[in-house]
Amino acid sequence: MTTDTLETPELMSAQKSTKDIYLPPARKKVTDGGKPHVVAREFSIYYGEFEAVKRVNAEIPSKYVTALIGPSGCGKSTFLRSINRMNDLIPTCHTTGALHFDNEDVYGKYTDEVLLRKKVGMVFQKPNPFPKSIFDNIAYGPRLHGINDRKKLMEIVERSLRKAALWDEVCDRLDKNALGLSGGQQQRLCVARTLAVEPEVLLLDEPTSALDPKATAKIEDLIQELRGSYTIMIVTHNMQQASRVSDYTMFFYEGVLVEHASTAQLFTNPKDSMTEDYITGRFS
Amino acid sequence: MAVEESFTNQRSTAFVISARKRAIQKVGKTFGEALLLVIASFVAIVVLFIFYFVARDAVPYFQIRGFSEFFTSTDWYPADDPPAFGALSIIYGSLMVTVGSALLAVPMGIIAAICLSDILPFSIRQYAKPVIEMLAAIPSVAYGFFALVVLAPLLQNNGGSILMWAWWIIVAPFMTLVVVVTADLFTSRIADRKSRNRFNYVLTALFGIVTIFILYFVGTALSKLQILSGTNALNVSIILSFMALPTIVSVSEDALQAVGRELREGSYALGATRAETIVNVLLPAASSGILAAVILGVMRALGETMVVWMASGNSAHIPQPWFNYLESVRTLTATIAGDMGEADQVTGSARYHVLFAMGLLLLVISFISNLISERIVVRQRKILSGN
Amino acid sequence: MNLRTRKLLDRSFTALGFGSLVVMALALLVVIVPIAVKGIGAVFFTGTIEHRKMLSAEFHTGDPRELTSEAAASERYRANIYSMLSGFEGELDRMDPEKKAEYKNKYGQVKSSLQALLGPLPGEPAPMLTRFKYGQTRWDKAQEKLHDLLYETKWDTSNPNAMSTEYFVRRAESFKGTSLEKLFPYVEQNIEKMMLPKFTFYSGFITESSVDSHFFGGIWPEIQGTFFLAFGAMLFAFPLGVIAAIYFTEYAKPGFFNSMLRSANSTLAGVPSIVFGMFGLAFFINTLKVSDSKSVIAGSLTLAIMILPTIIRSAEEAILAVPKTYKEASLSLGSTKWNTIITVILPAALPGILTGGVISLGRAAGETAPIIFTAAVSVGSAIGLADVFNSPTPALSWNIYNLASEHEAAGELRHVQYGMVLALITVVLLLNLSAIILRARISKKLKG
Repeated sequence: MTTDTLETPELMSAQKSTKDIYLPPARKKVTDGGKPHVVAREFSIYYGEFEAVKRVNAEIPSKYVTALIGPSGCGKSTFLRSINRMNDLIPTCHTTGALHFDNEDVYGKYTDEVLLRKKVGMVFQKPNPFPKSIFDNIAYGPRLHGINDRKKLMEIVERSLRKAALWDEVCDRLDKNALGLSGGQQQRLCVARTLAVEPEVLLLDEPTSALDPKATAKIEDLIQELRGSYTIMIVTHNMQQASRVSDYTMFFYEGVLVEHASTAQLFTNPKDSMTEDYITGRFS
Repeated sequence: MAVEESFTNQRSTAFVISARKRAIQKVGKTFGEALLLVIASFVAIVVLFIFYFVARDAVPYFQIRGFSEFFTSTDWYPADDPPAFGALSIIYGSLMVTVGSALLAVPMGIIAAICLSDILPFSIRQYAKPVIEMLAAIPSVAYGFFALVVLAPLLQNNGGSILMWAWWIIVAPFMTLVVVVTADLFTSRIADRKSRNRFNYVLTALFGIVTIFILYFVGTALSKLQILSGTNALNVSIILSFMALPTIVSVSEDALQAVGRELREGSYALGATRAETIVNVLLPAASSGILAAVILGVMRALGETMVVWMASGNSAHIPQPWFNYLESVRTLTATIAGDMGEADQVTGSARYHVLFAMGLLLLVISFISNLISERIVVRQRKILSGN
Repeated sequence: MNLRTRKLLDRSFTALGFGSLVVMALALLVVIVPIAVKGIGAVFFTGTIEHRKMLSAEFHTGDPRELTSEAAASERYRANIYSMLSGFEGELDRMDPEKKAEYKNKYGQVKSSLQALLGPLPGEPAPMLTRFKYGQTRWDKAQEKLHDLLYETKWDTSNPNAMSTEYFVRRAESFKGTSLEKLFPYVEQNIEKMMLPKFTFYSGFITESSVDSHFFGGIWPEIQGTFFLAFGAMLFAFPLGVIAAIYFTEYAKPGFFNSMLRSANSTLAGVPSIVFGMFGLAFFINTLKVSDSKSVIAGSLTLAIMILPTIIRSAEEAILAVPKTYKEASLSLGSTKWNTIITVILPAALPGILTGGVISLGRAAGETAPIIFTAAVSVGSAIGLADVFNSPTPALSWNIYNLASEHEAAGELRHVQYGMVLALITVVLLLNLSAIILRARISKKLKG
């Protein structure tokens, strides 16, 4: 075979596969969702002089899963972390424009970031349980907000662990150190810990990048379980994952929100050529 | 979600709070941070206070007696009438034991640091570190006691033979190496292999005989030395070098570790041996960090009190000849410690204030060398991270 | 250069490295071993009947009935000596004056040697100082005194170029022909029966106060003083240091002021310890007047500022070693910054902070120079907790110096000095050892 005959069919099939990537899974119906929950208006984030996120305009629908995709350094994580103001940890970080959550200004003068973060929970790239017992990990948030009754805490812990599909695996060792769990279990514990403070929005920052495929599948199942109860935003490098778990997808490139559409549409019929190049793997 | 009972009643309340609450929050935060800042500034305040209070009691001395006597005269008779406060011999004593301990501790410390960072396998390193930490942990008064009760009689009774043995053990292997290398250098130009080897052997033998003669000559001379007092500058220098070693080793090891793997690998890839890599690549790259280590270690020796007070002999004179480490000396620290009890602090005589003048001198020296070493470390970190 | 030579150089270099480490290890051994061996001798030793007499009289310990029978047994042999002495005294009286003068001096030496060995002779007035009330309490010391009794020390100064050398002359020779001649072989043969040496475990060395400035008894006041001073210093320095470390790691913004604070910290770490002592005297005592003169509180404050930089540095390192993810997790759950520090960061950093604290505690316990002018006295009894504000205390470090360098009988009390040094080194090294173990456990935990 010559090289020509080899290349041409492959290229063809690759082009074709753009249309095949998106296979919507069966999903339960979301009731009373779809209202704009997080709204960005001309929203920019700077690290010192550098504009990491540029004038984003977007409306994130409530109770659906929104995936944020794009190459490394495109600003998707920065955007996600700005929603619960975790960016405040970086001293040089500041914002312009407006970001609203529940019709209130996230970066407003009278915003209490502690109350905000209670409503906007976050799960990080690497599982980060505290070096405490499983129980104390989950109870950490409720205790912060003034619940000290052991019985009530126990209820919350059980409810959160059940929601995170971890209860059956850990119910008999709640007093053991959380660092003894496997990576996947640790990550679900982190989800449970976040759920225990009863947030409205769940921000997932590449939650499966440090996990093996099996644990990843469990987290993805969990996201499907939580869909409909929480507004979920997930940053992911894995486009298959985005297509599997999300209802809407935002594609970022160099800080710009290039395209924001339903996942079905974005993966099958991208409007922007850049989006198409990215999801077909021309660059990453 | 909606049907589930919520544990807080704030579920529907917003995260935006009233201006008044915000103001209270802000005041609380500012106040808290200010409190932390005050506590953190405590150290700086203490440093200023130390300078102020030592200087406050040092200045009257210079007002009474002026500067020249303190720094130029060797007559130290603070209790006589009229008193004499010439501190030159005391300053010289401090300098002497500091230099002596540095001569012993610096080469050994740097080599030990290299050994720890580049030669020893990790499994042995784990056991070497506690040894260094224990050397650092032993209280100075215990070292002083050892110097006074064990080392001093040993030096006094068997000083000559100890010096001879030290000379042989330390210098003989070193000289052997020098002989082999010089012979090799002399013959390396000869192209023919056979004659080169022959020439090499002849030269080695020749140099070897000369060296053995020198070694023997100096060794016997040393063994005949009589040490009049075991409490002398040599004794103190040895013990102070033990005390300076841990600082020198650990700080230079940090500096060596900071040099990246790439540099080492680059050198090995060019066919350099480990020793060549260390001498030609590692040491130059880590030189400023090692310099900082040496400064810190030397400062430890200069500032040490108990060892010199107990084992230096406390005689305020410049040894004859000036490099005679077998004579007793007296240092600044020991003078302060020893004379403070006798100096009349209530009336504030010159005798009391001259001790503070010595303290101020020590303080200024330590402050300057600290600044220098800090500057050096910062610069090295910048250079290494810049690369 | 030859490849052979290059390799030789390489190998020599490695040997040099190993050699220097071996020298360091040897240095440690050379310092510690004699102190440990002789220091243990302060607690475990062969004690004589004089030791038991002393314990019974001064501390009221031991079985009095047994002591009485022992004393009677020993007295039987001693009586002969005393009768020999009185016999010779009679002989001395009968001698012609010239000879009498010659022997009287020598006899005086014999008598004082016997007194040092066996305790006060019968018929002598009771000595004022406790140290003279008993003979040698330790068997090794008794043998030294026996040697002093049997031999006269003379100095050979015949060679003016060399140092004079010591030599010994039997005293029996100088009493040849007198009735006292028999005394020397008698004492030599019966010394064990008179002193009744017995292996002794003297725990009182740790738990008792000293009698007659460390001639007898133990070092408890010094140990207690050291603990008061060191823990007092920690009481001030530890909270301050940890809070300062929190500020430096979590709140400080880079800038001129912050770098100045850091400079101050390393300057303080480099200040010679004696200067801390001067500052303590000039500031805490003469200016603040925390106490009229030396006191535990003044010493503790002085030690506190000395160990402050170490505590700050180690606490900073421990806090920086806490994974950033803990902080993120806690903040994202709606915790305030301060709450995060208290509930997440500090607990995770605690072992590291404690390690630094324990090492500083050891340093405070071992340091001498800062307490010379501020807290330490050479003689004194254990002080109560209420006295820390106005009274000075003996402390191990200072009393080692004092006993070894300034005590009028420093050479006689080597065993006490060794015992004190061993006690101090044990305390300090145990603290350091626990720090090393603590750190090993942290690194294990971090590795998972």
